[in-house]
Amino acid sequence: MKQRNLTRYDRRTFLKTATVGAGLASVAGCLGGGGDSGVTLGAMYIRSGFASLYGEEAERGFELAVDEINDDGGIDGEDVEVIVRDTEGDAQTANRQMTSLIEEENVDGLFGLDSSGVAQAIAPQVAQNRIPLMVTHAATPFLTSPEGEHENSVGNDYVFRCSNTVTHDMYGAARVVSELDGTEWATLGPDYAFGEETWDYFRAFNEGMGNDVEFVAEQFSPLETNDFSPYISSILDAEPDGVITPLWGADLTTFLGQAEGSGWFDQIDHTLVSVGMGTDLPADGDPIPEGTHASTRYDPFVPDTEENQTFRETYVEEYDTLPTYNAEGAYRALYLYRQAIEEAGGTDADDLIETFSGMQHTGPVGEYEFNEETNQATVASIWGEVSYSDEWGSNRLEPVERYEASPEEIEDALGDSDLPTGV
Amino acid sequence: MYPINVFPLVGLSDVVVGLSLGSRLFLIAVGLSLIFGVLGVLNFAHGAFYMLGAYFALSVATNVVDNFWLAVLLGALAVGVVGAAIEVATIRPLYERLESDLDQLIVTFGFVLVIHEAVRYRWGSQSYRTDAPAILDFTVQIAGSQFRAYRLFVIVAAVAVMIGLWLFITKTYFGSLVRGTSSDREMASMLGVDVPRLYTAVFFAGSFLAGLGGALAAPIQSISPALGDQVIIDAFIIVVIGGLGSLSGAFVGAMVVGMMQSFATQFLGSGNMAVPFAAMVVVLLFKPEGLFGGIGE
Repeated sequence: MKQRNLTRYDRRTFLKTATVGAGLASVAGCLGGGGDSGVTLGAMYIRSGFASLYGEEAERGFELAVDEINDDGGIDGEDVEVIVRDTEGDAQTANRQMTSLIEEENVDGLFGLDSSGVAQAIAPQVAQNRIPLMVTHAATPFLTSPEGEHENSVGNDYVFRCSNTVTHDMYGAARVVSELDGTEWATLGPDYAFGEETWDYFRAFNEGMGNDVEFVAEQFSPLETNDFSPYISSILDAEPDGVITPLWGADLTTFLGQAEGSGWFDQIDHTLVSVGMGTDLPADGDPIPEGTHASTRYDPFVPDTEENQTFRETYVEEYDTLPTYNAEGAYRALYLYRQAIEEAGGTDADDLIETFSGMQHTGPVGEYEFNEETNQATVASIWGEVSYSDEWGSNRLEPVERYEASPEEIEDALGDSDLPTGV
Repeated sequence: MYPINVFPLVGLSDVVVGLSLGSRLFLIAVGLSLIFGVLGVLNFAHGAFYMLGAYFALSVATNVVDNFWLAVLLGALAVGVVGAAIEVATIRPLYERLESDLDQLIVTFGFVLVIHEAVRYRWGSQSYRTDAPAILDFTVQIAGSQFRAYRLFVIVAAVAVMIGLWLFITKTYFGSLVRGTSSDREMASMLGVDVPRLYTAVFFAGSFLAGLGGALAAPIQSISPALGDQVIIDAFIIVVIGGLGSLSGAFVGAMVVGMMQSFATQFLGSGNMAVPFAAMVVVLLFKPEGLFGGIGE
């Protein structure tokens, strides 16, 4: 083929401008504003970029709670206000936003965080600032594993978590595996701590519970991969019976579409989509094939309690869609603060953390308490089979199982592993 | 630590995967290369245009006409119009500036942010999926592996775009104007070529190609506001490896990188992502003008 070179610029110009562009790409940010009356809480979520849907879902949840609480007389008679900031999924940004919330907005408490990496990075600063943080989504066990227990542990007196974690999730996954007939397992996950931790805990729980399994392949794809075919091909070559995949967001949607076209669901007997039922559902329906096993941090239908039913109905009425786990976690954080502030008789940080520690609470997710050792809520692991619901116009888990276990039972299930449970 | 991926298998199916990856990379990079080659504009918004192509095609298919092919065409045309409007309104005034390359970059980066927020405002942050056309909604067995026919079609489409562009640039009158203007803008202007209009036409074509790439990729991957960010880096890598402004370079570079990614995944897992960057470094060290580029032409 005859060659044409159309450029009149040299590569130095190209590289210079590309470098400037790459630098510009890191410029972003947003600032909120706030008042100083009543109770003020600071929310920190991802509100821009790849995972901005998490922030949007959380906002729906806490706004609903704010309206409900203020209509119900507020917290100790005072209105509650939430100032939300964008972490951008970046530890430095999150730290800056947290400092701003504490120093400029004088918030009484913090909640939120989606990214495990961000949560781990700022947990020590939370303690230094002596302000309570209620984590509603970030799932790394190291966040509530007391500092010193493991080299990556950052748990401290000021950091609490009301949502379930990788530990809970993989405990449930191993319980699911024990009921299935597959012996050879693999993973395809995101190439960072969350993907690796999921695989580590999956293997540790399966071994600890004595499941008859072996692990035959692993692939980790970078975030925002737009073609999974080489990873899919590699996993299929290993011919596992089952695969655990903690892919999420647009990555999960992309993977599912490409997996289906590659015959994945014909060749792999069991696909376990860790936290697949959640914020990641596409707007237009049913990306996860029916019968696939998936987990979630909160299910709108179980437990079948009045709290859950009321929340589900209110949420659907307000937003015309089922609540996701991120919405429920943020919603519940407001009620946790209300209970703690009213029990403590004020917003003093040290009184609040003392109240949170060991506190019992009932929310849409069910009844639970905060383990005094770890500050982790003793919530259930939720796994089920994906089925399409005509009534709701989206996937739901049915049948669905809540695996409830005490911190001690979970510890035992890890067997000889030196991984901390953080529960 | 554990016996994982010890015996990677590489076969014909991995070649097909490589071609598939390469085809999509080419469709991402070709418009960027064309615009840079002719106008000297490094269009940072190219990835955003690619994303717009996917969203426009989705919207057309959902709201206007339930025909995939028409949706792809209209989506790509709409992106072409957006690109041309941006060129006329904001880039054209910058051509004569001393530091115009940096100014253009800043302007186009501004449009990355604008388009990103506009997409979030219009479609939200959630992911969408769109179906492949019914006629290509079947699977094909190649060397024991299953491929969606649509994925194979995209390979054919990329080759068709390459051949079509090559014929257009080398065999048509308009193509000769483009070549002449890219070589010597002042001379072309003195000879009566309406350079500003030609530039707009080329920017339209490059944007159209970005939109076409996005629209064609829509049934293969999820459509979300992050789509543009994902592809722009790939496009830059391909353009550097293939040679700035070289269409053939973009094609060969994309296919080489696609193959590398496919094979490397079998051996390196996620380390395959380093392969294009490593290839770029090697090319810059040993053939700085790129595989098909010429220095200072």
